[in-house]
Amino acid sequence: MSTPKTHRVALLFNANKIFDREVIAGVADYLSSTRSSWDLFLEEDFRLRLPGIEQWQGDGIIADFDDPAVAAALADSRIPVVAVGGSYENEADYPARVPYVATDNFKLIKLAYDHLIEAGLRHFALFSLPEAQGNRWGQEREKAFRALMRRENFEVEIFRGLSTSASSWDEAVQQQIAWLHSLPKPVGIIAVTDARARQLLQACMLAGIAVPEQVALIGIDNDPLARMLTRIPLSSVMQGTHEMGRTAAHLLDQMLHGVRLGGTRILVPPAGINVLTSSKHESTKHPHVMRARHYIRQYACQGIKTDQVAAYVGISRSSLESYFRRELGCSVHDEILRFRLEAATAILARGDCNLVEVALKCGFTSSQYMHLVFKRELGCTPRAYQQRATQDQPESCLPTSTNET
Amino acid sequence: MNLMISDAGDMPAPDQLFTLRNSSGMAVTISERGAALVSWLAPDRYGRMADVLLGYPDPAGYRDNSVYFGAVIGRWANRIAHGRFVLDGAPRQTVVNDRGNHLHGGPLGFHALRWQGEGEDGEVRLRLVSPDGDAGFPGQVEVGVRYLLDEEGALTIEYEAVADAPTPINLTSHPYFNLNGGMADVGDHMLQVDADHYLSIDATGIPIGVAAVSGTAFDFRRPAAIGARLCWPDAQLRMAGGFDHCFCIRGRVPGQAGELREVAKVTDPGSGRSLRVATTEPGLQLYTGNYLSGVRGRAPRPYARHDGFCLEASAYPNQINSEHAAAVILRPGQVYRQTTVYRIALQ
Repeated sequence: MSTPKTHRVALLFNANKIFDREVIAGVADYLSSTRSSWDLFLEEDFRLRLPGIEQWQGDGIIADFDDPAVAAALADSRIPVVAVGGSYENEADYPARVPYVATDNFKLIKLAYDHLIEAGLRHFALFSLPEAQGNRWGQEREKAFRALMRRENFEVEIFRGLSTSASSWDEAVQQQIAWLHSLPKPVGIIAVTDARARQLLQACMLAGIAVPEQVALIGIDNDPLARMLTRIPLSSVMQGTHEMGRTAAHLLDQMLHGVRLGGTRILVPPAGINVLTSSKHESTKHPHVMRARHYIRQYACQGIKTDQVAAYVGISRSSLESYFRRELGCSVHDEILRFRLEAATAILARGDCNLVEVALKCGFTSSQYMHLVFKRELGCTPRAYQQRATQDQPESCLPTSTNET
Repeated sequence: MNLMISDAGDMPAPDQLFTLRNSSGMAVTISERGAALVSWLAPDRYGRMADVLLGYPDPAGYRDNSVYFGAVIGRWANRIAHGRFVLDGAPRQTVVNDRGNHLHGGPLGFHALRWQGEGEDGEVRLRLVSPDGDAGFPGQVEVGVRYLLDEEGALTIEYEAVADAPTPINLTSHPYFNLNGGMADVGDHMLQVDADHYLSIDATGIPIGVAAVSGTAFDFRRPAAIGARLCWPDAQLRMAGGFDHCFCIRGRVPGQAGELREVAKVTDPGSGRSLRVATTEPGLQLYTGNYLSGVRGRAPRPYARHDGFCLEASAYPNQINSEHAAAVILRPGQVYRQTTVYRIALQ
């Protein structure tokens, strides 16, 4: 068996963003599964810098083509290039004569929209971002949203807002709040990224707009950082980023072995949808119940009691209880416990270990009490839950147990 | 679980239909014709029920089931090169019905025959006797298939067969799944298969070698969208018009059955439905409905290419003509057994 030749390959990405990082992870996954041996060139801070790239003495390049400057700089490359980026509605917007692996922007928006319409919403809006060279995918998602709305005879409601900067932050938030107030309710909003969704979720909180009752929100990227920074767990569409990386690596691998691919184009659909609280809209609930759940959702983990919820809603404890019985078939306390349990299972699934800390963090009075609630509601201990959850990661290989049936 | 029995088709010999149900509202309908899975109603993420199987609009369609919708396939599932094999020194010729090869028991294979069905206690049992010389195969074979549906959405298929003379045997189930219920083709379904190798094929679908999946469109060790993989430049895919290839299940002795365990998983991001496949078999044929175009089914429009996919658990294609032939010969006194479980659930 001969040793394969080592190729020098540059990965030109801005890997400070989750999308780019995951594409690179996909490239790595491809390499670890094959005999191909690549020396990878990446900037130390994982950022993309063009000056000098034309002098780089390598064998191949995989590059994020979202930025037209990158496409221009690599247009006359003498070495094989595989482009990664967003899909375009207009054929002419794709770079010519270069293999292209795209995230399917239309399907990303379609999946988010289908989810919101299934959740019972009838008004929709898109929270986009200001047009810039590096985010043409933003405009493509707007086009997809516009096309969907027209097809279904819905009004097209798109808001770009300001780009994020410390100096204009207050103004940006005020504009978002004004926009949110102007929308018919309840409304389902798709944000073009989780980072944008997180900002809007914050604006909803500031404006006292109930999520998901008044505004059901879903982002794109399934970014764990954005999710961690929101009090209400954020629903999100997962892009097929790993598969994009594997596909791009495969195409470059072929080219390095002399296969001519010309303008091969592969569109990768979304990998899934992570449905969490921010989009779990239920259409017909009494306003008192909606308001109470809005409060519980935000403060369940801070040890609140039924009295505080009733005080927030502004009605007596007993009438709040009767509304809950009628609408949800449970007590206010049950609902608080449910949110605590949800928060605890989320932490355990990440692999955190100290059960006392988890219990306190989620508003349980003690770890013994959390244990009791787990046994009663889930039929297992917090530890057993954690073991099961951490074993069943979506990216892991298939379980080999024989009792799957 | 309860069971409903109804009549279908015309006189004089209507094929009975059996329906298995569970408490989550799932309903699996099985026909005596071909012991076929006719429909499988399952809820999506939003609780809406839809049929996750492709099929004919009317039960009589299963009498001429040219694409093998949902049927049990036998006496030999998949292909035998030129329909020829040598058994205990004697050359044999079976029916040839696919580009010069034998396929799926021939045009009058188990899928086209009427089985004797009975349903009780939440299960359906079907029996068939395949006479000596059937499709050119030696010996009489008695086959039994048992379907069970559990509360977790797992449909277990147990096969049993005995023969009165040595014969090759290879059974499978041939449902075409579309987890979105037919809203779109299966291109966006994410597939994961527990296999490091697959069998590369010639232009007529006969295996010519064991190939590593790594670095190819066949590497489904991590989940990947079927449609995007169909676009990879790959000579094997181009030749077959998509996937029509057998994966060699990891950890199995080549060509030999083993312990029942999960070997593949498919998820549909839109509906949230997932399919898990567990089997005792060494091979798993992935077929992406490459020849579905124009077939009239239950959908308002005729089916199109890639509207459904099959994951057929069985021995290897043409195994009777390979070094592993002994494992696929059933002899008097022996019992052929297979268990395959399809489980539909939410992700």
